[in-house]
Amino acid sequence: MIKIQNIVKNYGDIKALNNLSFEIKKGTIFGLLGVNGAGKSTILSILNGLTPISSGEISVFGLDIKKDIKKIKDISSIIPQNLAFYGQLTVQENLDFFAKIQNATKENFQRAIEINGLEQVLNQRASTLSGGQQRRLNIAIGLLNNPQIIYFDEPTVGIDPKSRNEILESIKGYKDLGITVLYTSHYMNEVQKICDEVAIISHGKLVTQELISETSNLEKHFLELTEDVHV
Amino acid sequence: MFSAMVKKEFLLVLRDKKALMVLFIMPAIFILIISVAMRDVFTQNSVSFDIAIVNLDNSKITKELVKDMSKNQNFNITKKDSAQIFITIPKEYTKKNKKLGIEVKESLKSDEIELFKSKLLKEVVDLKLKIIANRLREFSDEAANAISSVSLEANNLFELKYNEEEETPNSTQQSVPSWIVFGMFFMITPISTIFINERKQNTLARLSSMNISIFSFIISKIVPYLFIAQIQAWIMLGVGMFIVPLFNTPALVLNGSVFAFAFLSFALSISTVGLASLIAVSASSAEQASTIGGISSILLGAIGGVMVPKFIMPQSMQTLANISPMSWGLDGFLNIFLKGGDIFMVLNESFMLLTFGAIGLGISMYILHVRMEKG
Repeated sequence: MIKIQNIVKNYGDIKALNNLSFEIKKGTIFGLLGVNGAGKSTILSILNGLTPISSGEISVFGLDIKKDIKKIKDISSIIPQNLAFYGQLTVQENLDFFAKIQNATKENFQRAIEINGLEQVLNQRASTLSGGQQRRLNIAIGLLNNPQIIYFDEPTVGIDPKSRNEILESIKGYKDLGITVLYTSHYMNEVQKICDEVAIISHGKLVTQELISETSNLEKHFLELTEDVHV
Repeated sequence: MFSAMVKKEFLLVLRDKKALMVLFIMPAIFILIISVAMRDVFTQNSVSFDIAIVNLDNSKITKELVKDMSKNQNFNITKKDSAQIFITIPKEYTKKNKKLGIEVKESLKSDEIELFKSKLLKEVVDLKLKIIANRLREFSDEAANAISSVSLEANNLFELKYNEEEETPNSTQQSVPSWIVFGMFFMITPISTIFINERKQNTLARLSSMNISIFSFIISKIVPYLFIAQIQAWIMLGVGMFIVPLFNTPALVLNGSVFAFAFLSFALSISTVGLASLIAVSASSAEQASTIGGISSILLGAIGGVMVPKFIMPQSMQTLANISPMSWGLDGFLNIFLKGGDIFMVLNESFMLLTFGAIGLGISMYILHVRMEKG
């Protein structure tokens, strides 16, 4: 279980996260919904040890984020919103590099390629791939260390509907492998399609946390937030 | 893990062939241009004046004078139209102790005229001695022979002792080390760009989420450039030794130790990557890093004696030059090329360069750590 308790993150005078608490059950797909600037990416940065919290407590599968961040990094993986690989290298060279620095096994290496359908483009320079293929390479790199938790930071932004559906289907498949997924998005329909449970945040605060089967109020809450933003 | 990071950096560097070409070709071209262009400025002995001579005296002795002057490398006998200086030997010059007529046709600087006068003086005094010897021969062969045996060659007249430490380089000895040093510092731009690209394309954050230490990250980035710097230094040495002489310019001779050259090159490359990584982690964009890198290279070069040789700078500027790592590198290379220096003769400069580089790398690691802590 991932427990987030009363966390605060300040950037100078700006409070990016304000006393935020929620829990993610092991082996589930958890959606984190919020408009741009709600604090979704900040939470992911904190969970990956890229940004320290100002106050509060987080435990990831029983590990304290302040004391055991190295161990947490070993069992987790982030799929960043922006593509994070080397465009000048081929797909194979990118995967080789990220596999070696994480001591990935051959099985994990092969699985990452197969799940993301990259077999045909291994010798192609990453910068020459289509938008959807680049997204899949971005995800494949995150699978190399056989993570127990994967954090997806809006992975479908700016890609065509076909690739988007393929990515969403592959994420649903991770649940069958026993992987816990935290999926951030500002698309309600995506979250409803793949998640077991959803939390909505706004201005760094939790608005609601509900199981996806109880979504009667979820859509209402999210619509209210988007209307606020548009006003 | 570290070897994978270094391999990745090599691949990235080798894929950017245009940047690599610039790193090798730019300093090589500079060495050629500056060595050839500054050849005569650095070597006073080879200064030659285009002169035309009209010999109205036409005696045996003045004919010999013209012959001697045509053999002198300081004088180039030419036609009156193309001469810088026109010399007239008047009628009965030998018999009546007349003066030579000298007309400077081209605007020469006063120091050039003084130099011409000193070179001509030797020839004229030689001539006068021959005239005196001829007259004496009517009275005494012994006295005439004594006069004839007087040599005006400097080496026969006095024994010159001077401080060899202050020996000045020729144009090749000055330009090769200068552009080795400048060429290495020119790497600041590609190094800082590759650092900043890592930030821009989000791979730095991804690597950080994979337990990659800042130390491994920075060191792996600089390893390929340390190799490139060594190759660059040896190629520039080769240009000085084998290409420059093809342009009628003195060849570079590696008078000193090969190990000293290799060690100093390594120390210089450490100082370069130290400064480059410091600029890279401090700048917020590749454009900013290129600007800061370019300006700091030019400033350090100008202060350090790359653009203007230190030995012609006023004393105050020579003192100021000592703050530039380029000056330390340049002094070290001059020790090797001019004084036949061994590894002990470049230890001081190498130590300063290594320290400078280590401080740069240390500070850049600290800045990167603080930046990443802040998120």
